[in-house]
Order: sequence, then C-alpha cells, then structure tokens
Amino acid sequence: MILLEGVSAQRKPWSIHDVTIDWRPGVHAVVGTFADGGPLLLGVIVGSARARVGRVRVLDGSPTDAQARTRIARVPVDPSLPDALRVDEALALAAVVRGDPSEPAEQRLSVLGLEALARRRVSSLSRGEARGVALAEAVTSPRVCVIVVEEPFVSSDSRAASHIAEALRTKSRSGSAVVVTTASLRDAGDLADDYLLMRGGAVVGRTTSVRALAGFGAGEARRVIIARDAAQARGLVAALARSPDVAGVELDANTVRIRGADPLALARAAGQAAVQADVDVVEIRGEPPSLDLARAAAMGAP
Amino acid sequence: MIASLGRLPAARILRSSRVWITLGAWCSLVLAFAGVARLEGWAHGADRVLGSVYGALALPFIACALVRAAFGGRSMISSTAPLVAFGASPWRAALASIGVATMATALLGAGLAALVALVAHGVADPPPGRDAIVSAYVGGLGAAAYATWFALGTTFGRRGGGRILFLALDWLLGAAGGATALATPRAHLRNLLGGVSPMNMSERSSAIALVTLAAFCAVLAARLARRR
Repeated sequence: MILLEGVSAQRKPWSIHDVTIDWRPGVHAVVGTFADGGPLLLGVIVGSARARVGRVRVLDGSPTDAQARTRIARVPVDPSLPDALRVDEALALAAVVRGDPSEPAEQRLSVLGLEALARRRVSSLSRGEARGVALAEAVTSPRVCVIVVEEPFVSSDSRAASHIAEALRTKSRSGSAVVVTTASLRDAGDLADDYLLMRGGAVVGRTTSVRALAGFGAGEARRVIIARDAAQARGLVAALARSPDVAGVELDANTVRIRGADPLALARAAGQAAVQADVDVVEIRGEPPSLDLARAAAMGAP
Repeated sequence: MIASLGRLPAARILRSSRVWITLGAWCSLVLAFAGVARLEGWAHGADRVLGSVYGALALPFIACALVRAAFGGRSMISSTAPLVAFGASPWRAALASIGVATMATALLGAGLAALVALVAHGVADPPPGRDAIVSAYVGGLGAAAYATWFALGTTFGRRGGGRILFLALDWLLGAAGGATALATPRAHLRNLLGGVSPMNMSERSSAIALVTLAAFCAVLAARLARRR
C-alpha cells in the first residue's frame, strides 16, 4: 500500500535519508519531532515532496498519479480548506473531486462530534475545528485509502479529541493505511499498531508493540502516582525515599513522579510506600520514556 | 470536474464585499465620465471615454481586483491548495481558478464597455447599437487578456504580489511604443479602442495578439502552479 525503498528527500530545512518502509492497512506512527523529518516523510508519501533518491509507491503507483491522488488525504497541523465556502459546501466539493457518493455533511462530521460546524463558513473556523473538518473528510471518504496526519492531538478541537483515535482505527480496519507523525510516545502508543522512530531524518528504530516502544527507554522506568492531596503526597515521598529501587522522586502538588531501573520493582516500591505511609492512592500509571531517551536507546547510546 | 473546481474561486468573488466595493467604485467612475461626455455633448464621447478612463485606467484595476478576489488574495499555489488537498491536480485547479477569473472579468469588461458606448455616445461616433456590440467585444477581449496577465502575476510572490508587478509592467512597457509594448495587453487594447497602435500593427493583428497573450499567460500560469 505504501512502499518506500531507500528514499532520500530534502525540503529546507528538513531532510530524510535512506528511508525504507512497507506499510499495509493499519495505523502506523512516525515518532519524532518536526526537525526529525516526519512531515517531510508524509510529504513524500502524498507526493507534495519529491524523493531525490529511491522509489516511492503508494497504492501501486506514484502518489501524484491522477487515480492515486484522490485516494490520499493529508491532515497537516494547519490544514488548507476552501476558505470562501461553508463547511457543508466544502465537504460536497471534496466528494465531487474525490468521486465519493453525496452524503449529508452533518453525518460525515458526526464521526468526530463536529456536526454543529456544518453551516459555518470555513474562514470562521479555528485551527482545531479546521483540523477536525479535514480529518472528518478524510476518514468518511470511501475513496480515501491512505491518510497521513501530523500530530493528531495537537491543536485538536476539544469535541473531536476523544473521537480521533477510534475514527482512525475504524478507518484502518476498513482496509486503509493511516500514518501519523507525533513527538509523543504516549500518543503513538494510544493510536498506532507499529512505530518508526526517526532522528535527524534517519530511521533509528522500529517496533510493533507498545511494550517494545516503552522498552526503547530501557534502563530507566518512570511511574506517576497521584495521591488524594498534597499532604498525603509528601508522606508518600518520604516513604519512597527509603526504597532502594527508587532512583529519583519529584513532587508536584498531589502528584509524585518516580524513576528507577526496573519498572516492576518501581511499581512494587510505590505500592509498599503507599501502605507504609497510609496514603490513599488515586492512580498509579507508567510513563513512556522521553523521546530523546527512546531515540538514544534505539540507537544503542549509553 | 473543472466546473466543480470553479466553485471555490466563484464563491470567493461572489462572497467578497471588498471586491464588490472596488468594482462598484471603478464602474461608477467610468460611468460618471460617460455621463459627463453625454452632458457636454462630446462628438467622440464614446471613443474618448473608452480609450482613456475605461481602457487605460479602470479596466486594468478591475481585472486586478477580480483576479485578486478569485485567488483569495493569495498566491496561485496557496489559493489552489484546498482543491489539491482533496485530490484535484494542481494544473486543473489552477486552470479552473484562471477560467473563473477570466470569465468574470470578460463579462464585466464587455458589459461596462457596451454601457459606456451607449451612455457616452456622441454625434461623430458610429451608430450606438453597432458601437455597443463592437465595444463589448473589444472590452471582453481586453479584460480576458488582463485577467490571465494578472493570473500569471499571481504565481509570483508569497502572497501573489506579482500581480502588482505585472500592473506596473503593463503601465511601463505598454505606454511605450516599442517592441516591448507588444507583450502587454495595454498596447493592443489601446489599438483596438482607436488609440496609437504598437509597431503599426493592424487592429486585427492586435486582436489576435490579445487572444494569443491570454492563452499563453493562462497556460504558463497553470504550468507554474504545478511547482509544489
């Protein structure tokens, strides 16, 4: 569905080098910052950026082919919608251009809870609303088989945020390839089936499970503990400080962040500390490693 | 497909109050001069108003305003990006916008020229009915050439500021009588409206030159829109 072989491309100030990808239907995450070349990689996939070296095949052809073009949708951070039209008119125009059957705008927008926007002028939409409309257009178009989304949760409309992950997964289950770029390992873990770690335009790691994604941060695990109030959190910190498995503790109001080498030992220490300090714990959750740490681990750095 | 792609530039023109105010102002100015010519009893009233206020001043600004509106005050690539995002080819999206801008400008240019010919008609002008038809043809042709000329200008500059450069080029090169004037709509339109001809060209040659210029600018502008 999306095949890149040894692709290098440049669009100042970004570049990508020797990227090889073979993506089938599913949700695929490109993990890295803008400077790591994720948006440029998406540009190569949709045909708006040219590969200087290598081979790009999308839907068994070039992404700029007339047939492929209408089956590819891109949702950038700042999407471009027909400014002079209303949202329902813009969706009707998109359906004509893509060759989709006509469908009421409210129905299409409802997948992201944005049906109230149907009669609004596109020029009056906030960036989050415009992103929501662009994403709704992409996921509800029967013709679209490849969707690329930059930072799906950044600047997203509050009504749409809770629907985004499900909408993308539903689209992928219908046989489409969805590619998201994100700098957040948490967002990547929430959305994708597999992950591509990029740094400085090169692929530095690949994995197909959240567990492995977290494993990129091997050597340092993190946990967040939320106590009922700040006083209880302080008591928890005092108990945690005595645990040999905890390498560091941070306190922020009723939230305690701890780090250590072993995630299991860290969870056990948190539980024991809560019992010792007689603290009501509201929540304990693991935190994914930072992007820098994950990339350093993926590259085998100490 | 191209007709569907034309919905966006058409909506930009129809829903922009700014462009209607600009067009209203220029049309009022031209018609006011035509009225003065009628009241003062100028013998060549239609010729004079069409050759001076209409052709030399108002029509370029009317075309520039309409093209600016059709492209949403942006560059060619940026203004067609929403259509390209839906899967339209950049070439077709650009051609649709150029087509809408050209048709709108040609219709207004032709209508205004015909109206001026009727209002400012003087005793030494050709019969009013025939003069209105010929003026509409010349006005429409000149307006279409100007629209594609400014559409080509829209491909330059981050926000399509090349339009202003092309307006200046038309003034500077078109006003001169040399070979460079042949590349501008101004020189040929002036010839068709009864003014000085560039390089002693016939009116028929100027008409062909305007059609050629319009086609060349439209195709070049659409080709340049593919750089994305």
